[in-house]
Amino acid sequence: MSMKQPIRRAVIIAALYLLTSVVLHALRQRQIVSDEAVMRLMGMLLGCVVVISANAIPKKLVPLADLSCDPGREQTLRRFGGRVLVLGGLGYTLAFALAPIAIANTLAIGLLAPAILVVAGITARCAWRRRSTT
Amino acid sequence: MTSIFKALADPTRRQVLQMLRAGPMGAGALAEAFDVSKPTMSAHFAVLLAADLIEAEKSGRTIVYRLKMSVLEEALMDFAQAFGLQVSPETPPTTARRRTKEKS
Repeated sequence: MSMKQPIRRAVIIAALYLLTSVVLHALRQRQIVSDEAVMRLMGMLLGCVVVISANAIPKKLVPLADLSCDPGREQTLRRFGGRVLVLGGLGYTLAFALAPIAIANTLAIGLLAPAILVVAGITARCAWRRRSTT
Repeated sequence: MTSIFKALADPTRRQVLQMLRAGPMGAGALAEAFDVSKPTMSAHFAVLLAADLIEAEKSGRTIVYRLKMSVLEEALMDFAQAFGLQVSPETPPTTARRRTKEKS
């Protein structure tokens, strides 16, 4: 896979997100959709992006020669990170889809933030260990 | 998607994926764990490679296989494992040929 492919995919996702936002804003101004529906849809879209991106994390492999830590450990961390973020993203999506709108945002962040913190913590610990061993 | 279901339908291939969960393994070490011929094992690896569930990397003279499964694909595999999913009693051509030879 060339380096341009992930960049192109990221740009397409960002463009789709912005386009949806503009379309929903226009629909809201014409009073076709309510403020609540716009907030829910945007939240669900963001959650879906997290789920789709996290789902692909274990598939993005680094060549064995470029790894500076144990390949088995690296694979376990990658799989764990992907799972945690998929669950966090699912929680975020479901919170915006089902929870009362007054608490949807807080609940969604409350579900996704720990997942991001766990993955960031593990990544930082792994990087620190790698640096201290070299 | 069909190739993924085809790959996950076979218990031997699922076993290979289970073993690769622990970390990358050489082709020889993987083949030794199963009571099948090397060509049969190669056929299994080919199916898994075609489904993009594993990746092969040359390391010196040996080929090292690594797990390349998304979270959803792993969940599908766990589902197949739990319910013993098997689409058809499919056997790679090499095994079938060997069995015919043994009979004669």
